[in-house]
Amino acid sequence: MHPRAGASLSRRRFLALSTAGATVGAAALSGCALEVSTGVGGGSGETVTMMVKADDITPELVQQAQKDTGITIERVDYDITKLIAMLTAGNPPDLVRGVGATDGAYFAARDVMQDLDPYFAKSDVLRLDDLDPVNDLWRYDGRSQGKGPRYGMAKDFSQDSMFWYNTTVFDDRDVPYPAETEPITFEEWIDNAKRLVRRSQGQTLVFGGSYSGLTRTTLLATMTASAGGSLFNDDFSKVDFTTPEARKALAWYIDYCKLKVGPSLIQPDPNGWDGPTFQAGRMAMSNSGYWLGGMINTDPKLAKVARLAPAPVFAGGARISACQGGTGLWMPRKAKNKDAAWRIFEWYFGEAPAKSRASGGWGIPTLKSLRELMPAQEDYQRRALQVQENELKHFSVVAFTPYATADAIDALFSRAAPAAMNGQMSVDTLAKNLNTVINDQLKRGKEQVG
Amino acid sequence: MTATSLNPKPPLRVRIRVNRLVLYTVLVVVTGLFLGPFGWLVLTGLKAPDELAAAPVHWLPDTFQWHNFADAYQLIDFLGYARNSLIIASIYAVLVTLSSAWVGFGFARLDAPGKKTLFGILLGSMMLPQMITLLPTYLIFAKLGMVDTYWPWVLWGLSSAPYLVFLFRQFFAGLPRELEEAAIVDGCGYAQIFWRIFLPQSWPVLSASFVIAFTWTWGDYIAPQLLLSTDKTTLSVAVMTTYISSAGTPIANLQAAASVMYVIPILLIFLVAQRGFVAGMSTSGLK
Repeated sequence: MHPRAGASLSRRRFLALSTAGATVGAAALSGCALEVSTGVGGGSGETVTMMVKADDITPELVQQAQKDTGITIERVDYDITKLIAMLTAGNPPDLVRGVGATDGAYFAARDVMQDLDPYFAKSDVLRLDDLDPVNDLWRYDGRSQGKGPRYGMAKDFSQDSMFWYNTTVFDDRDVPYPAETEPITFEEWIDNAKRLVRRSQGQTLVFGGSYSGLTRTTLLATMTASAGGSLFNDDFSKVDFTTPEARKALAWYIDYCKLKVGPSLIQPDPNGWDGPTFQAGRMAMSNSGYWLGGMINTDPKLAKVARLAPAPVFAGGARISACQGGTGLWMPRKAKNKDAAWRIFEWYFGEAPAKSRASGGWGIPTLKSLRELMPAQEDYQRRALQVQENELKHFSVVAFTPYATADAIDALFSRAAPAAMNGQMSVDTLAKNLNTVINDQLKRGKEQVG
Repeated sequence: MTATSLNPKPPLRVRIRVNRLVLYTVLVVVTGLFLGPFGWLVLTGLKAPDELAAAPVHWLPDTFQWHNFADAYQLIDFLGYARNSLIIASIYAVLVTLSSAWVGFGFARLDAPGKKTLFGILLGSMMLPQMITLLPTYLIFAKLGMVDTYWPWVLWGLSSAPYLVFLFRQFFAGLPRELEEAAIVDGCGYAQIFWRIFLPQSWPVLSASFVIAFTWTWGDYIAPQLLLSTDKTTLSVAVMTTYISSAGTPIANLQAAASVMYVIPILLIFLVAQRGFVAGMSTSGLK
């Protein structure tokens, strides 16, 4: 059946719509679209494009930057696809957000990052002797992370293998608190989690603990280091999950998932991260570093029952407490407005924004001189700070491969591991499977880097 | 005695009622399944932050936090981003509807060597995932100086869309040949036949095409995220990326409230145009 012929009214209506659409379009194009963005500075010398997330640079900070430095910040939402596109097109932003632990070596190996050593050498704001060792995550010597030129800087950091615990949940289950000076073992951690978990009719009411690191890859690399080994080979072109140390780490994590004491791939937390669950008293232990204190400090009820504990160790193993993040900024080699970008870099890491971050408790400042600003007004803040200060003695950089992103490796892990977590595959088989798929990915990455 | 006589069939009226009851039950269940996620989104938008993590689950908020909607509206330049979305979606929907109708008309009513092959290639291009063409597209627009402008949506609109071309082609192919022949006898060229005869009859497909194209662009995240700066981007990108606390943690209840407000225009457009949309899909043979 066909519609009525000769529906002239419809045509008029359609034409009217078309005209309206064209008018709106023309107005829009003349108003907005034709002003092609200068995007990357465009030669004005006073505009710096930053590819960051909304919370990295708030509109208030943009205004403050204008006031403090005279430079206008144009924010572009961080998006890895867009970043790659902009780098490929040769018009990258002037400053880019990145995770030092995993992005530093990755982008440096691809020769898209600006060596910042000459800038640091001249700076009065960011003095080399004032830089916290965590900033070494942003160094790469062409072979290994932690050495060589500096390509970026962390805005704040935590030792991400530490954990917070809720004393109320421990008291309810009559479980002794973990010591605040000496680490418990991973085995003890999981025993505690088993005792603390509370379930009812198939629902987990209270998670015994959450322990998944910032990414599974950085978690397992750090745990393997704790067990005395290395997940990567000497040139970071291969992983080996079958070594005794890596297998120990993998077996522990798979056991944690299998026991369902905490969130994992096979038992996700609907909140997506630990914060709200821990705040609701539904998580006894949260594998989050000092930074979670920023959230805890805003909730006096929670602050009284939340305590920070050192990173667990393997029985008889070394005490290693690495940073798995170190989020900060780097400057692309082809940035068009490098001097202005460096001025913003200095301001962001060493001036008003850095001081504000330091006093907020959302991480440890990356300049040693700013440590005195860390919150210590309340008893619970002083207590957490003491644990943190003691933990800093055990900080070390666990180097990551430059041949794949942590997300890419995590995606491969997420595909292979659930079978083992569900008890349908042995840890040894999983270790071999992971070696195969991840090494294939690393091989391709190495070919790209050359 | 036969089994039939032992178990006589219930009267027709009863059977119709039972059938209807079953049908409506199934429809209610299916509707519930489809509405469930949206209902959950609305409820999430009405909860206090601590209720989001409660266990057992709080199905209904203790106190309905209606202010979440006002907060979500005020936290970002909601109206500004909505205006950007409206501009882009309108430009694209109008242009792509016209261009697809024109291309569909060609495939339906004109003959040329290789027409079938071309049509096959056109349909085949529907199978290309957007991700594959993303980087080359960005590079082209960057070279043309069109990044951070709305020109890409104009060009995409003028280029027609394979699915919509297919929709129009099916519709135009079903119109009687006599219409075209009579117009030719009256001295019309094919452009006039398209514009004065075929297009006026195709309002159901035009309506369907407009709704599809508009919702498509309104809901698109990838292209505006890639091509537009934070100030010029669309509501879909803003809702996804800006409801974050100063510490970088998501503000889930406000994001849910914003998402509800974000889908309202689409619901309204569909409600207004649904008759044409359904008719368009039916008359093009794609039901």
